[in-house]
Amino acid sequence: MEIVKKTLDRISVERIKLELLGTAYGNSTTFIGRLDPRTLLSWYLFFAIVPWFIHNRTILIGMFVLMVGMTVLSRVSSILIFILCLGLAGQVGWMFLFSMLFGGDLTSLLPLLTLTLKLSVISLASIAVFSSMDPEKLSDGLSALGVPDTFSFSLSYGYRILPTLLEEFHQILLSFRLRGRSPDRPGFLYIRVIIYYLRLTVLCFYPLMLNTAKRSRTTVEALETRGFTYGLNNREVKKMRLSYLKLGMLDLYFIAFSILYIIWLFWFGLKFPSILY
Amino acid sequence: MSTLSTRYTLTQSQKMMIFVLSMSLYGLSNMFTELIPSIQLGPIELSVEYFAFIPLTLCMLFHPLYAAVGASVGEIIFGELMLGQFGGIGEVEKFITFSLAMYTAGRMVSDPTNKRQIGIAAMTGVAIHQLLSSIVDVVKVWVGVEELEAVQGLAESIVIIEGVGFLNDVLFSGILFALLPTLYLVPRLYGKIEPLLGMRPRHKDTKYEMSNWLSPKFIIMGVVLALLAVGAEVMSETEWSFGEWELPFAESSENTLIWVSIAAAAVIAIVTISILRSKASKSANRTDTKNA
Repeated sequence: MEIVKKTLDRISVERIKLELLGTAYGNSTTFIGRLDPRTLLSWYLFFAIVPWFIHNRTILIGMFVLMVGMTVLSRVSSILIFILCLGLAGQVGWMFLFSMLFGGDLTSLLPLLTLTLKLSVISLASIAVFSSMDPEKLSDGLSALGVPDTFSFSLSYGYRILPTLLEEFHQILLSFRLRGRSPDRPGFLYIRVIIYYLRLTVLCFYPLMLNTAKRSRTTVEALETRGFTYGLNNREVKKMRLSYLKLGMLDLYFIAFSILYIIWLFWFGLKFPSILY
Repeated sequence: MSTLSTRYTLTQSQKMMIFVLSMSLYGLSNMFTELIPSIQLGPIELSVEYFAFIPLTLCMLFHPLYAAVGASVGEIIFGELMLGQFGGIGEVEKFITFSLAMYTAGRMVSDPTNKRQIGIAAMTGVAIHQLLSSIVDVVKVWVGVEELEAVQGLAESIVIIEGVGFLNDVLFSGILFALLPTLYLVPRLYGKIEPLLGMRPRHKDTKYEMSNWLSPKFIIMGVVLALLAVGAEVMSETEWSFGEWELPFAESSENTLIWVSIAAAAVIAIVTISILRSKASKSANRTDTKNA
């Protein structure tokens, strides 16, 4: 029962608010954070797509080593890494167990290991790149690569509106609780309390939808009076906004190193296709 | 003139309003669902997958395209980026499947006061989304493992894991957090929330842009066909044999079987499109004669 109580504590809105505001504002003082977002995004694109189509285990292992290095450089928090490992082990582990059930044996472990290697290369690449890039930079990088500007607007709007929305949600929830009646007995496994809270959360969205509708109208009207759509469709404005993005020497070194490493890896991998197993 | 089917046109700022509304609401709810812990029973996970009722409700009340896209963007920004869980390419897949499913659900409802329509559309929306993501997952393993048939029992285990996940998401999350809240909210909000954004409520005769080719029927058919194609391929890797399925040449050439299934899919798709087109032109003719 302690666990249920703890998890219920975790769901309290106040707590969530703190947790969110804490994670939302990251830092970008790491080596990877100093690179140009366009460099990072194209680097990521390569390592997110190519591993799927490589079945050479030496190349995959080499990529994995590179990713571990990158992750160390970007100083990812150990909790994130732990969650990643747990997820990978769980996913592939269940697949393995079930395949045993259908007449598989230990030989099926090897292809699954290759799959795990691939998945970890891809997820480490995304963790290394995205955890050390602050959102401002990410949205500017995406917009420089041609993603619609509405996305970057939504990002900054999200950061601005989040505390207000949470505040409003909290107030509605409190007023519902004031007027309503919580269950007398918690019931088996606190099931009644859980149902009560989930029901309240859903009900809260009725007033919240109406309030947010009004707010989004105000927002858009304010945006339009300042020429938002005009700026969105204007090339000059975009150029001005993105003018601070510059490819420096650091980016050049980084790209050159990655390309040389990959070329060497392919040469090496084709020569020794199965170096470890 | 009242029977004239007017096109539902919105100004640029009205589209933006729907987008912002859907984004912030669904994004907020996504933060909660990310933080609500799930109950794990072996591979089966009883979890609140998402509050699908928010985008469903908004898609049924407003223009489905902008509401659906707004919700997907909200999920990426609030649920992933701000919580530090942005997954890169994986998000693109989520974005496409979720927007497509929600758009379809919104388009299926022509009369927001009709509860039966709302219920069917809500469940279809969730089912389409889950089916699409299951297909993507299966294809991922399929591409990732070099020779699927070399691993005994892998194909069966994928089917089972995905199938259980699908049933859980549709029956648990789908009914509790999509069907019931949508049935409660849509008739209640209808006619109340639209004036706040300065637009007229939808009614039976509203027609959308893009309605000619991206219709709900078309999408549902596409999803079902994709599922059949992937399912047949995975099944053919397993040892489960269904008597009727075993075509005489299936053993010798799997490739032929793939081409046959693709050809069948193409034929059915073409037939559906032509039927829909003829229907559309008929209805267009009808309105023309009425105008005349």
